[in-house]
This record gives sequence, structure tokens and C-alpha cells, in this order.
Amino acid sequence: MKRRGLLILSVLALLLVVLGGTCVSTYNGLVTLDQAVEGQWAQVENAYQRRADLVPNLVQTVKGAAAHERETLEAITEARAQVGSLNLGDVTRDAESLQRFQAAQDQLSSALSRLLVVSEAYPQLRANENFLALQSQLEGTENRISVERQRFNEAARAFNTRRGTFPTVVFAGLFGDRFATRSFFTASAGAAQAPKVEF
Amino acid sequence: MQVPAAIGRWTAGCLLVVASLGAAAATPPPPDSMVTDRAGVLSPDVRASLARRLGEYEARSGHQVVVWIDRSSGGVPIETFAVEAFAAWKIGRAGLDDGLAIFAMTEDRALRVEVGYELESRVTDLVASSVIRHTMIPRIERGEWDAAIEQGVEAIVDTIEGHAGSLPAGDGGGDLPETGLWGKIGLGVLAALFLLFLITHPRRAIGLLILLGRTGIAGGLGRAGVGDLGGFRGGGGRSGGGGASGRW
Repeated sequence: MKRRGLLILSVLALLLVVLGGTCVSTYNGLVTLDQAVEGQWAQVENAYQRRADLVPNLVQTVKGAAAHERETLEAITEARAQVGSLNLGDVTRDAESLQRFQAAQDQLSSALSRLLVVSEAYPQLRANENFLALQSQLEGTENRISVERQRFNEAARAFNTRRGTFPTVVFAGLFGDRFATRSFFTASAGAAQAPKVEF
Repeated sequence: MQVPAAIGRWTAGCLLVVASLGAAAATPPPPDSMVTDRAGVLSPDVRASLARRLGEYEARSGHQVVVWIDRSSGGVPIETFAVEAFAAWKIGRAGLDDGLAIFAMTEDRALRVEVGYELESRVTDLVASSVIRHTMIPRIERGEWDAAIEQGVEAIVDTIEGHAGSLPAGDGGGDLPETGLWGKIGLGVLAALFLLFLITHPRRAIGLLILLGRTGIAGGLGRAGVGDLGGFRGGGGRSGGGGASGRW
């Protein structure tokens, strides 16, 4: 009898160790993917911030050469202010605030691309080295934004896939919001493309 | 209980395979030289010498600067092609992200300078755009591809280093050939040792092989021995869409 009890006990202990090990590795795997999403989100924010920083200078330069494009310039200033005043909590875990973030950023995108189109009509602007410099920076930034956004989506999808797969989904559910499903960017008309300007 | 998980993983696996196939179709395999010309616009001498100079530059500075010329980026914008190729080829050193690549598509009439994260502060979008617009495109339009690529690369390397004449002349100065010689000697000694062991202690010979494989000494010696200066092997660097494009 004593030996049998010992046997059961050791089997139980073994089971506990295996189960514990699985839980630990599942948890660590989720944390790693979670961190990747966070890191990639920081890159997305960087790229957008970089663009926002270019705006005042750009508006100033265009104002000098094309004063009567007041409407276009105002739209940009307004969209820039909107982006700056966004107050979003945990964007990547909340689909609704990510949508608001994206909407505000897309508005700035379209205002900026309108400006670049309008600028075609001003030879004086097109010959302005300062403007050309800002334009190349703007193009580079739009390109960075689309790259980082895409990578963020990939990271978010990787996390969601792992999180939603059985049995991880049961395990992750135990932690409540700690491993909430991530929301990601949706492609919107024209927003994914950098404004094209021919030289 | 395990069945649903298996199916889920299997589906995810299939999706991954499909995704990687899609990516593979657009991005060519990594080049084996610092300068690749699939469109045949460079003269062979210039291509070889530029590859050698960039190889020597990498040996000196650690920065990988890669040139890729092809006819077309295959339907995707050159910006997309550049980002994907940069990521797939892992240009630059891991953790440092200090690589740079110049792409030219002759039929798309498009140029792209793609800058690794770490070099973005030195090769700014503005500088990259200026090199494309002022140095490269005018020469390409005149049909002077050799000059366009050579001077474009020189301008970019000068920008990275902060002074003119930074790209090595490629005449093989410095201690590099010596390394090559020592590599050859080392490889010879090892080969002799291996043959000796093979006769006397076959087991030890195999042990030696495994040891070399594990430590990567053979690879390093082999590379130095062959002296393939100008060859390219991705180091694990990344880029994030920084740089500039131009069309002519």
C-alpha cells in the first residue's frame, strides 16, 4: 500500500512539472510576441511623429511662395493640430481608438498629398531648394510610415494567431486583459501610398 | 483534445508557407556580390572593381553597401521591392543595422537608395535624394551607367564617412591580402592534419571536422583563403523605409 501511494504521488508530481513547464513556456511565448507588438508600435509612432514635425516648416515654406493656397494650408494645420491633440489610451489593445488614430493620421496624409499636388502649379516653389528638401523628407517619411505600419500589422497578427490558438486561448483567457487581442491598421484608400510627385 | 490545436497550427503553418512563397516570388535570392548587374548596363571591369572596393570598404568600416541593378522590380513599386529585399538579404550588421543598398531598375526607370536604420542620421532622405537627382540621374540619362553608379556609390560612402575619397581605391592595400595568405596557410595545415588523422585515427579526423563546423573556423578560413573580397553575405541588418527614390 505504501509503495502504491508513493507511485501515485510521483506520477502526480511528474504531471505537475510537465503542466507547469508548458504553462511557463506558453506564457513566455506570449510575452515575447506581446513585446514585439509594443516595439513595433513605437516604431509606427516614431514615423508619424517625424511627419508631424515636418509640417510647420513645410507650411511656412509654402506660405511664402503660394500665399493664396490658404485653404489647403489651413486644412494641413488643422489636421496636424488634430493629430497632436489625440488622447488615446492603449491604442493597440482598443480597436476603436486605433481607428480614431488612423482616421486623424489619414486626414493629415490626404491634406499633405493635396498640398504636393497643388505645389505643381508653382514653378517658384518647384525651384525652391528648401521646398524640395522638405518634399524629399516628406516622401521618405510617408514611406517609413507605410513600412512600419505593415510590420506592426504583421506583429499584431502573429500575436493574435498564437493567442487565438487552442490551447493557448484558454490559458491566455486566465490573464484577462493582459493578453487582449491586438487591433491592427486597415488599408484605407490612398493612405498606404506615399504621395507621388514627379521631378 | 489535441486535434483542434493541431488543425489550427496546421492552417497557420500553411498560411505562413503561402505568405513566404508570395514574398519569395517578388524578392530574388540574396546576391553573392556587393554589386549585381542583372540588366547588363555596367561594363564588367567597373562592376568587378566596384564590388572589390565595396568589399574592402566593408572590411575596413563594417558597413555593407550593396548595389543591385535589374530590369524591373516586377510590378511592385521600387520602394516596396527595396524594403523587402533589404529585409530578406539582411544587409548590414545585426543589431547595428548599418547597411545601405542602391537599387536601379532600368526598364522601370527607377532608382532607390534604401538606408539601414543606423545610417539614417548620416545618409538623410535629403542627401540620398540629392545624390539620386544630381549625381546619378543626369548620367543615366546620358547613358553613362558606369559613371552614374560609381559616382553615386562614392558620394554615398563619402556621406557615411563625412569626407571625400572615403571609398577605398580597391588596389588591395592594407593588411587584407596578408589575412588571405594566412588563411591559406591555416587551411593547408588543417587539411594536412585532417589527412594525417584520417590515416592514423579516423575517429579523430571526424572529430576535427565536427569541431571546425561548430566553431565556424572552416567557414572563416575558407572565406579568407579564397579571398572573395567583394562577395556579399547578409549580416542581419534592417531598414525601415528610410532613403529616397528617383525616376528618370
